Amino acid sequence: MAAVLNGAPVQTLDIDLVYSRDPANLDRLGKFLAEADAIFRIQPERRLRPNESHLAAGGHLNLLTRYGPVDLLGTIGKGLGFADLLPHAIEMDVGQGLAISVLDLETIIAVKEQLASEKDLAALPLLRRTLAEMKRRST
Amino acid sequence: MSGDPPLPEYSEDGVDLSLIRWMLSLTPLERLEFLEDQIDNILEIRELNAKRPADNDPSGS
Repeated sequence: MAAVLNGAPVQTLDIDLVYSRDPANLDRLGKFLAEADAIFRIQPERRLRPNESHLAAGGHLNLLTRYGPVDLLGTIGKGLGFADLLPHAIEMDVGQGLAISVLDLETIIAVKEQLASEKDLAALPLLRRTLAEMKRRST
Repeated sequence: MSGDPPLPEYSEDGVDLSLIRWMLSLTPLERLEFLEDQIDNILEIRELNAKRPADNDPSGS
């Protein structure tokens, strides 16, 4: 989703969110997940619900919500958390008075290079070309 | 005859640059709306096909 918002022509069905593990935010997030009827995606038939201890652990929670699939990520890449990534995020207006922090394309590329899974490596040519085109347009 | 030469449509590694330029011409909100439309279309097509199992039978029976 962040790549799309940055202008890369890719398809995605889920939203990856890196969240702050500040206790006040965990509380807010827990309330949102309850409202969104979130369950773990791995065994949807068991309807296992994420709780605050899951959120505090900081792993990857792959969830289904009433709004669609959402992946909550405590960290990405080599242990980069919310505070590490925030300086590399751009605030974007997504309508209805809502502004969200979206990871910039340079950082998305750097994280995918770190992860280096087959899926991440496959996405890199398109992301790098998008970044190059963005830079060409800004000069 | 003047001006810059036309920009290539594809990169050497096969990436569609014209699609990138089109996406970059949109605002973030427009990009999001386009993605949502695409997802809706894909889900609708999946749903329609799921309702027609006989049509998906490769044996044609």
